[in-house]
Amino acid sequence: MKRAPRKNHIVVPFRSERRFYGHGIPRVDLEKVAGKLIVVEGADGSGRSTQIALLVQSLEGSGHATVQVGLKRSTLVSEELDRAQQGNILSRTTLSLFYATDFADQLENIILPALKAGFIVLADRYIYTLMARDMVRGMDEGWLKNLYGIALEPDAVFYLNVPPEELVQRNFAKNMSLDYWESGMDIGLSRDMFDSFMQYQRAMEQTFRHLQTTYGFTIVDGMRSADVVNAELRKKIDHVLAGK
Amino acid sequence: MKTFAELGFPGRLIAVEGLDGSGKSTQIYLLKRWLELQDFKVYFSEWNSSEIVKAATSKGKKRELLTPTTFSLIHATDFADRYERHLVPLLRAGYLVLCDRYIFTAFARDVVRGCPPEWVRGIYDFAALPDLTFFFRADLEVSLQRILDGRPQLKYFEAGMDLRLSTDMYESFRIFQGRMLEQYLAMSTEFNFLVVDANQLVEAQQVMVRELVSQRIDLARFRHAERLPGRPPRDIQKQKKERAREVEEATFE
Repeated sequence: MKRAPRKNHIVVPFRSERRFYGHGIPRVDLEKVAGKLIVVEGADGSGRSTQIALLVQSLEGSGHATVQVGLKRSTLVSEELDRAQQGNILSRTTLSLFYATDFADQLENIILPALKAGFIVLADRYIYTLMARDMVRGMDEGWLKNLYGIALEPDAVFYLNVPPEELVQRNFAKNMSLDYWESGMDIGLSRDMFDSFMQYQRAMEQTFRHLQTTYGFTIVDGMRSADVVNAELRKKIDHVLAGK
Repeated sequence: MKTFAELGFPGRLIAVEGLDGSGKSTQIYLLKRWLELQDFKVYFSEWNSSEIVKAATSKGKKRELLTPTTFSLIHATDFADRYERHLVPLLRAGYLVLCDRYIFTAFARDVVRGCPPEWVRGIYDFAALPDLTFFFRADLEVSLQRILDGRPQLKYFEAGMDLRLSTDMYESFRIFQGRMLEQYLAMSTEFNFLVVDANQLVEAQQVMVRELVSQRIDLARFRHAERLPGRPPRDIQKQKKERAREVEEATFE
């Protein structure tokens, strides 16, 4: 999947106005935030990591510095969160707040500093997955919106849409098994893991479509080849960089 | 927001709030002993004590990784864990639940640290209000002295050093605790705090606490159904150890 880098044609990103979704982070000066925040959302098996790897390659080829973030990667709580999840002992509000802590730590210590330094930050999922997971578990949307009012509004959000029937095939092709949490087994939709996975992923897709009406992200058809999908993402990102 | 009684819970929740060094932990310990010795169903829960979350919090504090936002969220996580796994089920089972600090600690502390008040209150709105909230109001100098008597040095976050109020730890502690007091007093009427003058002697305060508790809560309902025959007497040594540990934890919070 090699692409010839464009010769010496480097686009200096257009500076756009920034805002937080809600109250934001205390004492952060958004004037200084120069870089771009690009989010790729989608279920496991929707092709998120492939797309991000391709974007890193093509963006770096075009002279942009990149940084990657994702869920459960914070210095502060990722280990503890992982350990707690293994035992599945956390109740839903606790789990939700634990993930929010993980997100906030990365936002303040990685995302915002990188953006200030003019990097393009590629986020492998953002607050939308966290909100959708909690909403499927019956948590209040208003409560979640207040909680994630700390989040910075990204420059582009792509939701890679792949139907559950295809997700299940891709997950088996890769791991030969379904993930406990990605199957929503904690909710008790069905004792049958396959059924639970299908129901859970359908509910997640519906919730994403609902969140799309508020947050306006781009729904991308993830059933096409990786290169075709990537060309679409790259085109949109080029628009963002050019300030269009 | 409603209290547990208003929500129809059979149990009752009593919370104590106050500045570090106000003596609230001693008072709630004495209340707990009084209730236990009368054989009431009692459960005690302390701020920042969830087994699961504690490790992350202490790492964050030790390595000074916490910002006002993550400080707030990690304490909310800790509270949620205790709330959903302990407090609510015990209150459903008709227990008297005693809490050393409740959501008002977050309301005061996080706001002093610069978090928006509506954001903090929104996060905690899954929690019901205590049936009784005691606020131990001590003069700043009194609480500072109590903290210093217990150990030689102040702690970084307790002194609000992360806020860069002053490079001098004692001065920073004074300013920080002073601002906390302002926040507490501003909430006092809204949340029906029972204000106790914490400059008084321990015994004088405890008299008032026990009186108010027996006036406002029908304690007879909380007695254990019946004593199990042949239940061994409580081990005095064990009690002493427990007391020592509780005091230590309260001071090092």
